[in-house]
Amino acid sequence: MGLCHSGVRGGKQAIGGTSQQNPNSNNNAAHNDAVDFFFKSNGQEALFTQVELSLSASNLLDRDITSKSDPMVVLFAKKRDGKLEEVGRTEVILNNLNPTWIQKITIAYQFEMVQPLVFQIYDVDTSYHNKPVKSLKLEDQDFLGEASCVLSEIVTRHNRTLTIQLQNRNGHGILRKLGALTVHAEETIASRNAVEITLRCYQLANKDLFSLSDPFLRISRMVEGGGYVPICKTEVVNNNLNPVWRPLCLSMQQFGSKENPLVIECFDFNSSGNHVLIGKLQKSVADLETLHREKNGANFVIQTSHGHEKVLKGQLFVDLFLEKQQYSFLDYVSSGFDLNFMVAVDFTASNGNPRNPDSLHYIDPSGRLNSYQQAIMEVGQVIQFYDSDRRFPAWGFGGKTPAGTISHCFNLNGSASFEVEGVEGIMAAYASALHNISLSGPTLFGPVINTAAQIAGQSLSSNNSKYFVLLIITDGVITDMQETKDALVRASDLPLSILIVGVGGADFTQMEILDADNGQRLQSSTGRMATRDIVQFVPMREVNSGQISVVQALLEELPGQFLTYFRSRDIKPHAC
Amino acid sequence: MDKQHCHKASRTVEVTVLSAENLRLDRKSVKKNTYVVVRADPLNSGSTRADFEGGSSPSWNEKLTLDMPFQTRFISLEVKCRTGSGDRVIGTASLPVSDILGDYTPESHLHFLSYRLRDARGERNGIINVSARVKMQVESVGPPTTKNSVGYGCSSSWQQPTLGVPVGHRKNYYGGVVTGVPVWI
Repeated sequence: MGLCHSGVRGGKQAIGGTSQQNPNSNNNAAHNDAVDFFFKSNGQEALFTQVELSLSASNLLDRDITSKSDPMVVLFAKKRDGKLEEVGRTEVILNNLNPTWIQKITIAYQFEMVQPLVFQIYDVDTSYHNKPVKSLKLEDQDFLGEASCVLSEIVTRHNRTLTIQLQNRNGHGILRKLGALTVHAEETIASRNAVEITLRCYQLANKDLFSLSDPFLRISRMVEGGGYVPICKTEVVNNNLNPVWRPLCLSMQQFGSKENPLVIECFDFNSSGNHVLIGKLQKSVADLETLHREKNGANFVIQTSHGHEKVLKGQLFVDLFLEKQQYSFLDYVSSGFDLNFMVAVDFTASNGNPRNPDSLHYIDPSGRLNSYQQAIMEVGQVIQFYDSDRRFPAWGFGGKTPAGTISHCFNLNGSASFEVEGVEGIMAAYASALHNISLSGPTLFGPVINTAAQIAGQSLSSNNSKYFVLLIITDGVITDMQETKDALVRASDLPLSILIVGVGGADFTQMEILDADNGQRLQSSTGRMATRDIVQFVPMREVNSGQISVVQALLEELPGQFLTYFRSRDIKPHAC
Repeated sequence: MDKQHCHKASRTVEVTVLSAENLRLDRKSVKKNTYVVVRADPLNSGSTRADFEGGSSPSWNEKLTLDMPFQTRFISLEVKCRTGSGDRVIGTASLPVSDILGDYTPESHLHFLSYRLRDARGERNGIINVSARVKMQVESVGPPTTKNSVGYGCSSSWQQPTLGVPVGHRKNYYGGVVTGVPVWI
């Protein structure tokens, strides 16, 4: 994972805006570790996708005596502890049992979480009709019905519309027909707009002693409260006072609106981390467009020691300014693109005898999940909504099968078919495998990765819209590092991402090499380099102590990897 | 095009030279004027135009179409620099044909590949990024059709094992089933 880039090479990489020319850079269209960490540490949410929900209902219960019900919908998000937190309300529609509400409710869509939603419909009493909707107390209104679903169920549907039958509170049986609620989700327009810009500078000041400055730009946007939050930075150009940087792609989510003021700072890179500010300027995206059109340069300014702003000789030019529409992750997913989930479980002896309560494979009769079960459940529960057939390949590695041979890729359910049905199917196959397989070793990833890559590669002949996600859960460090690297390098060109969870107390530093967040690309034994960073590695114990769950840490970068793969090949969502 | 009526002994490959990273010449970062020569064999090669500004991490994004005879095992990628004293080789890499053919992907899959460059002394000198694709042969008998960008007309003697029905190239949708048989001799 890596919350910061270690190493000078990593530190010089561009962050934030995606560089379209480099499908092999570490950038993500959606999230970026360093930028996210900055947001979270400041108490602000990262820039995720906003979705608007439009609601309508049919056959609502008639509560009023002389007229029809006056319904209003309240949306709640169900938190981890089961409590309901209100997200928003529609307006009240008078006298209507088949209402279509105009007021949309906006909610943040986060791929890496299961987001359970509860919709409650109330009949608003006449005496409250002129009050603002927000002030209405729900206890004073008549309850008409409730519907629950998960946000990803709605957004993965073909037309992003879901109809749910209304039930009594907490789903306590259906005494009589309460009608149905239809929810339609739409990404806000902002999610799709993006601009691609190429920036260049002229006559920057020299801040280095024996050579020239190594300039890079950092772009920040103003947020409520007056502060500035960085949204991206360019790569570092060495030794150059007239640098040209690679094109930056900024999404409207990042810059807010075209009029929103952005601060562009130019720094001289120092490997010590103390970058020297060369100058800064404030321009909105609309200003940058004007600069491009008029082919003008904008001068940098710098604060002098007296507190004045001195105008510098250095100028910024915008060589390229292109507005474009980027298809978002939800565009792909709702048009029929699938995420296919695959699991591989470590059956090496280092886990400990499964009958022993100390073993990482111990199945607790009280129902408490062991680390393996936890990882499978949490990742599987999020991804299952994106997998249309819910059939998951499940393998074990490093164990001795009933036939007596040690296998590094055997079917978890022990049968000829490597697929199981649903997350429950994986759990059942895992439990039964613990009875039939004897733990052995060594820990090898190569065979499992190659098998997953083969499935991903073969799917390309029939279907260009599947993306595969392999979850490997292991307790130990691998012994086939070079073969694993070779397998990963080959797989980096395929629609595949690999999530690795390290359980238990082993020292996983070696595994972090595989997760190339430090900027070092994986190299195979034949001299080929990985084109994308397709690995995410998280040690479970590190995450359990923090605020976020294993799942969030692992899955955060998945939409970005997915988008990088399809965008770089110019594969668009299916037309509706 | 007097090869129209002879047997086809090669396939067509499109190599798009994307970019390179961290190029050095004589222990200093390269400043400018780098270009790439892509060679399938001594007779079949192409080169990109020079990148004037890119410095040690230039980008070209240029597509080169080459004939690749069946027995070719490697395509060589050579990064050179135009200096005052002539053209110098910065580094070379070999693209094994097995990386674009013969693994479990369909033949016309667009591969994004990257390779470590090594200089004349065999030392590491940067990375080169390319994308490559083998062009699907369009079956045709007689004079070349305008759709076939290569312009050869006698693909009927093409000895490739059947891969199923190639359908709908334009939509990036691959029809048919790949048998995964390595197609070199």
